[in-house]
Amino acid sequence: MASRFSFVMIGPRVLPSNVGASAIAVLLFVLFFVTTGCIREEDVTLEQRAHQLAGELMCPVCDGQTIDGSNAQIAQDMRLKVRDLLDGGSTNAEVKDYFVIRYGQEILAAPSRSGFNLLAWIMPVIIVLGGIGIALITIKNMRKAGQQAQSLNDQRQFLQNDLADYLAQVDRDLVISSKLNPNDGVDQTTGTGESEAVKS
Amino acid sequence: MADLGVMALLLGLALSAYSAIGAIVGEKLQMAELVVSARRALYMTTLAVMIAAGALINAFVQNDFSIAYVVNHSNTHMDRAFVWVAFYAGNEGSLLYILLTLSIISAIAVWFAPKRLARSMPWTIAILAIVQLFYFGVLAFVASPFELLDTIPVDGRGINPLLTHPGMFSHPPLLMGGLIAITIPFAFVSGALIAGNYGDDWVDVARVSAIIGWGVLGTGMLLGAWWAYTILGWGGYWAWDPIENVALMPWLVMTAFIHSIMVQKRRGMFRMWNVALLSIGFVLAQLGMFINRGGPVVSVHSFAASTLGIIFLSFMLASLVFAFALFLWRMPQLKSDRAMESFMSREASFLINNFLFLAVMAVTLWGVLFPVLSDFARDVSVSVSAPYFDRTNGPVLLGIVVMMGIGPLLPWRKASARSLKQWLIWPGVVGVVTIVTLLIMGIQRPVAIFSFGIVAFVAASIAEEWWRGTTARHRSGDNWALAWWRLVNGNRPRHGGYIVHISILMLGLGIIGTNFYQQRTDGALALGESLVLDNYRIEYIDTGDSSRPDRIAQWAEMSVYQIDPDDYSEEIDLALDQGASGFTLKDSSLRPNDKLIDHIRPWHGFYVDFNMASVRSGIRTTLVEDLYVIPRDFLADGRVSVAVSINPLAWWLWASGPFFIIGTMVALWPQAAVERRPTRKTVRAVSEGKN
Repeated sequence: MASRFSFVMIGPRVLPSNVGASAIAVLLFVLFFVTTGCIREEDVTLEQRAHQLAGELMCPVCDGQTIDGSNAQIAQDMRLKVRDLLDGGSTNAEVKDYFVIRYGQEILAAPSRSGFNLLAWIMPVIIVLGGIGIALITIKNMRKAGQQAQSLNDQRQFLQNDLADYLAQVDRDLVISSKLNPNDGVDQTTGTGESEAVKS
Repeated sequence: MADLGVMALLLGLALSAYSAIGAIVGEKLQMAELVVSARRALYMTTLAVMIAAGALINAFVQNDFSIAYVVNHSNTHMDRAFVWVAFYAGNEGSLLYILLTLSIISAIAVWFAPKRLARSMPWTIAILAIVQLFYFGVLAFVASPFELLDTIPVDGRGINPLLTHPGMFSHPPLLMGGLIAITIPFAFVSGALIAGNYGDDWVDVARVSAIIGWGVLGTGMLLGAWWAYTILGWGGYWAWDPIENVALMPWLVMTAFIHSIMVQKRRGMFRMWNVALLSIGFVLAQLGMFINRGGPVVSVHSFAASTLGIIFLSFMLASLVFAFALFLWRMPQLKSDRAMESFMSREASFLINNFLFLAVMAVTLWGVLFPVLSDFARDVSVSVSAPYFDRTNGPVLLGIVVMMGIGPLLPWRKASARSLKQWLIWPGVVGVVTIVTLLIMGIQRPVAIFSFGIVAFVAASIAEEWWRGTTARHRSGDNWALAWWRLVNGNRPRHGGYIVHISILMLGLGIIGTNFYQQRTDGALALGESLVLDNYRIEYIDTGDSSRPDRIAQWAEMSVYQIDPDDYSEEIDLALDQGASGFTLKDSSLRPNDKLIDHIRPWHGFYVDFNMASVRSGIRTTLVEDLYVIPRDFLADGRVSVAVSINPLAWWLWASGPFFIIGTMVALWPQAAVERRPTRKTVRAVSEGKN
């Protein structure tokens, strides 16, 4: 009862600010998709493409380095080969395939997105969405527990306040009818009144 | 010397065993004297490790080549300064260093532990002693740095050339120290739980010790990135390789912890969660030790190949089981005092931030383990390196930065929609204006632009908070600087946090700039020739030799000119036709608008014994971009082969360091000093009203 009443009271105040906040949120979202949606293949030079590809290919003889970063001889040779293939008109995928055929999948700095390797890419999505999901559910549950405690508290408060009001009213009525002092322990602060009442 | 070291290690082994047993037995049988003596034994282990470390350092300084470890990590012509740090250049020595750090911080932590934790201290002491016992055991019996050689060689092999850099004095010690320091909060909390001390008595000491370890680890990683940038010669600073990842993972978990421990401190919530985070952090730190010390995780086989790997793996699994069992045992007693009131509260935003940090940690762990899994499940080797982590972790890290702008603006318990809107509107406007401005300016790469917008949004939210707080104090009479200082002083954990957030934003700028806007070109230059990239012309003007018996080394002196592309339009067009980003010039004569702006001196050394090259890149730094010249090789025909890049905003990566350290220290500074002054109480009350 009390909660429905407070909803009506707060409702109109919440609404306009919510609209403002959601407008900003929507605007941000739209901006995000507008900005990310219009990604176009830039007019990158072949050299830039070669560097980018070099960052996606591992150096076979170095621990965990891509050929882009390595100074090893084989890395230098591979970089030249990448550039050669690009000059010959190969696509990025063709260049990668060229090296996978010769060195195996290990040569790719990130696993391909097919077959078993798909697992490598799906798991992060599950982890992140699952994590956020668990966080939201946890908050919701903690909040529900809180609201139950709160509503119990509200009831107690209501009983105290309303019962107090009611009793006070009864007392006032009694005062009017009998002209007696209306203190009977409801209002603790005026303890003196009670003793006066007893005296009179 | 070797005998002294071995004896000190054995003494330490006995002392730590005595300390562990004494603390537990003393507590169980209620023999106070035994617990006191266990505590003193723990102090004495520090002395034992110091003697061992001193013996090893002395062996290095004296060039005592009867010790295998000294032979393998030093020689007579290395820079003398590095002799002092060579003792942690290899496996055995760095284990000794880790133990030295652990014993010192354990002694400090136990000495300064608050009185109210007295009941749980025996358990804390026992846990610390057991961890030390493990390291003493490894050092004494498996990986002794005091192993003697039968025949004494004339000279040593020398230190790993990649380690001879000023960063060697700070990066490895901080990284290893930061990892092992996570033991301290873990020991305090586990001790409290075993003793049945469920209250929040441990909150402050766990928070402080966790932040110290976290700050040290973070600084260590940043220094490692800087070291990589200046010396490793691949033009980057973070490669997501397993060694880096195992340091990052516990750091992420501890980052989550130092946020959520505030919820427990202020609201009495998240107890279970905090215990879980500390446990995960401790186990991940053990994983870090295991992968660092047990050999690199290039393949699953290298684990099994080293005895040390198995020993560390066992210890890690033991700590995992211990932490998990303790958690399950005491979970029922770790209920929150209060409930969550709203999604729009700081508690809720901290919980979401926690899960995002854990998500990055879990994805990273998955990436580290996937090659092992692939090997195991289908016998196919795959690599999981930077491109994978950039794509998977990048978006989540961006999400964390967004939370960094929203979370601190939310009050505890519950935000009204109105106040939230008031707080978010200006940062939101700043973020949107930034994005629009960058779009209008014709800056390319939408993801980067969006990220810049988010950085601006978060920066504006911090600025707004400081602006409001400072103006309020300014109006009551303080001058601006004093007003800001008092604002920060009034709630150091909060405002120290903001300073750290600023450092993260600076780091973010650098990461976005270098990842999305780097330009590169390769070339080989003879003396007098130039290489042009964007607005720079680099002219190779001089060279010299700095070889030593253990290395072949050469440097190149280069002049850096700022050019006007119009002067070079012909060559630029030609280069673009060939698909090149830059080009070399035979003729380096000055053109009208060339302006000499700097000299750089890239250096290249080859260490024959190690079959390893080490380079110093030539770097010209400005606030906007770095010109970065890697000397790949000095060719036989006298030319130098270089890789030249322009790394936008790289300066911001390193400038973030001081902010990170200062922010951490502000957050750590004891609040008691303020509470003594009565005049501040009102200010604190006001500032805490919103907190």
